[in-house]
Amino acid sequence: MNKILEIKDVHAKIGNKEILKGLNLDLEPGKVHAIMGPNGAGKSTLSKTIVGHYDVEMTSGDILYKGKSIKEMEPEERALEGIFLSFQHPVEIPGVNNTYFLRTAVNAKRKFEGKEELNAAEFLREMKKYLELLGMKSDMISRSLNEGFSGGEKKRNEILQMMMLEPDVIILDEIDSGLDIDALRAVSEGINKMKDGKRSFLVITHYSRILDYIKPDYIHVLKEGRIIKTAGPELVSQLEEHGYDSIEEIQ
Amino acid sequence: MKLIDLKGKNAQSLAADLHIKGREALLEKMVSMGLPSKKGEAYRYFDIEQFLTVDYQTLAYVPKPVKESGKIEIVDGVVVAAPKGLRIYYEHSDAIDMEHFDPLYYLGHLLSPSVIKIEIDGDASIELEHRFTQSDTLISYRIVLLNQANRHATLYENFIAENITNTLVLYGYDMHIAPDSTLRVVRTQSMQDKRYAMVASHKVNVAQRANALLKNFDLGGDLGLQLIKIDLAAYAHVEAGHLLYLNHDSKRGTVSQIVHKGEHSTSRQEAKNILDGNARGIFDALIKVEHTAKYTKAHQNSKAILLHENAYMVAKPQLEIYIDELEASHGSTTGQLDKKQLFYLRSRGISYIEARKILVIAFANTLIETVKDSRHQEMIKAAFEEAFYQGHTKDGL
Repeated sequence: MNKILEIKDVHAKIGNKEILKGLNLDLEPGKVHAIMGPNGAGKSTLSKTIVGHYDVEMTSGDILYKGKSIKEMEPEERALEGIFLSFQHPVEIPGVNNTYFLRTAVNAKRKFEGKEELNAAEFLREMKKYLELLGMKSDMISRSLNEGFSGGEKKRNEILQMMMLEPDVIILDEIDSGLDIDALRAVSEGINKMKDGKRSFLVITHYSRILDYIKPDYIHVLKEGRIIKTAGPELVSQLEEHGYDSIEEIQ
Repeated sequence: MKLIDLKGKNAQSLAADLHIKGREALLEKMVSMGLPSKKGEAYRYFDIEQFLTVDYQTLAYVPKPVKESGKIEIVDGVVVAAPKGLRIYYEHSDAIDMEHFDPLYYLGHLLSPSVIKIEIDGDASIELEHRFTQSDTLISYRIVLLNQANRHATLYENFIAENITNTLVLYGYDMHIAPDSTLRVVRTQSMQDKRYAMVASHKVNVAQRANALLKNFDLGGDLGLQLIKIDLAAYAHVEAGHLLYLNHDSKRGTVSQIVHKGEHSTSRQEAKNILDGNARGIFDALIKVEHTAKYTKAHQNSKAILLHENAYMVAKPQLEIYIDELEASHGSTTGQLDKKQLFYLRSRGISYIEARKILVIAFANTLIETVKDSRHQEMIKAAFEEAFYQGHTKDGL
């Protein structure tokens, strides 16, 4: 199997508590992988581990991105390489203009890739392409980053960043939480636009609702820090019917 | 002149030393308060004593012809330029607050028997530039600022020092904000290279239903202290914002007293402090609600970010309340940059160093962006970034 991201026997803890206990997971290019699991299974810890969050200490195992270990990389290095996390709760940063922030991020990526940086006008032209698609009001880009944004606006802003940064591995942590049906549709449309047969998506979710909009290729069940089952999309209905407790029996 | 030579003098001797005739009440007040020292409340954290023993040269304040200019220019305490039509003149000052907490407020008045009086007409927006050109000098002057009732005026103030050293500037305002009016004062002071130190001692009277909007941007290094007493009449409002960005071994800050005297008066005071190197920031701020000030609303807050382990913030927000019918709050936090915010930026490919810079500038911008005039807002942002980058190269912290 061709792999873009390989998570190999990863153990990770937050504080003194081990959360991931020998987790193995491979992501294929161009595929949508959904991670489902009960509360406290380690879903958010998995996403934090991949992006190098300060909360998490990876105690053993390895994570390979395009065949290269990223476990010693700083968060910004992982991002520049092409890994993107859409946060469950994007932080508000008063005083940082949304456009300025995103242009800084886009230009950091372009510089890393040896491309010319975009000037303000070029950047705005690029950004406007996506604003309409995401149903974002124009004032959102001139406000402070996420400050005073509703839950839906924050998620749309995450997707805007994703579209502008063009990552190769996209982790969507509870992207559907706090979204009404219109926002969910707009966000899903943005995500589906990013599917190009090469990018890989890791959709972390409690509920199957988002998977009606972003069709998964694989469902992975995460429980007690390990992937305990991997199957096709048909597993969703089984989970809905029997719950997570049934998975061990299925195994 | 050594200020320490005035220590322990009685009113008569003080008058003789300072060549003052009359002004007995002021002399008595100065004698009763004595010279400032570390033991006094106002200067506890500032080391004022180091300036008292310096032998400064003094200047003869000879009024000069005032040329026409787009802004008021005061050079070494003397007005040299002003906008056409602006009423600006020297006058003997008798409107002195006899309850000010700062001894240098009184010394400043004694050293400046004539004050610079500025009367702002209508809804004017005026710029004032202070320029200092003399080394080893005690420059002392005071300004009386008046606006008109029912009008909304703005004063933008900044400071320039030529290539001088070892000068001490004592200056300050007596502001009289007329009933039903608004006076905005936006003060930006970048200091560096130990050219001069400053103690600014102000008194602000806010009349009934008037608004005082005072924004201070104290940037860079060196030594400076602002001492402000603000009296609020009924339905008067003050909004005071203080941004402090300090680097190296500077000591600067604000000591303030906001006194609610009238009913329904309101105050909101916000300090944002960013300290690097061995800097010490001071925000020693008292809000006093007198028994005559029922239904007051008073809110006070100080936030400080320390960028270096040796940086130190003295934050002392205080409330002194003599009534029950009011709404009041105060708070203070000192910490480092927010880890979550820092990580969020880094997770988008922005380097640790760049992310820190963005957050520091953002913290400052929340106060800078309360200056509504876009040209001045940009000037303050530029001054802030210049001060910030003096301590850091653009590529590293």
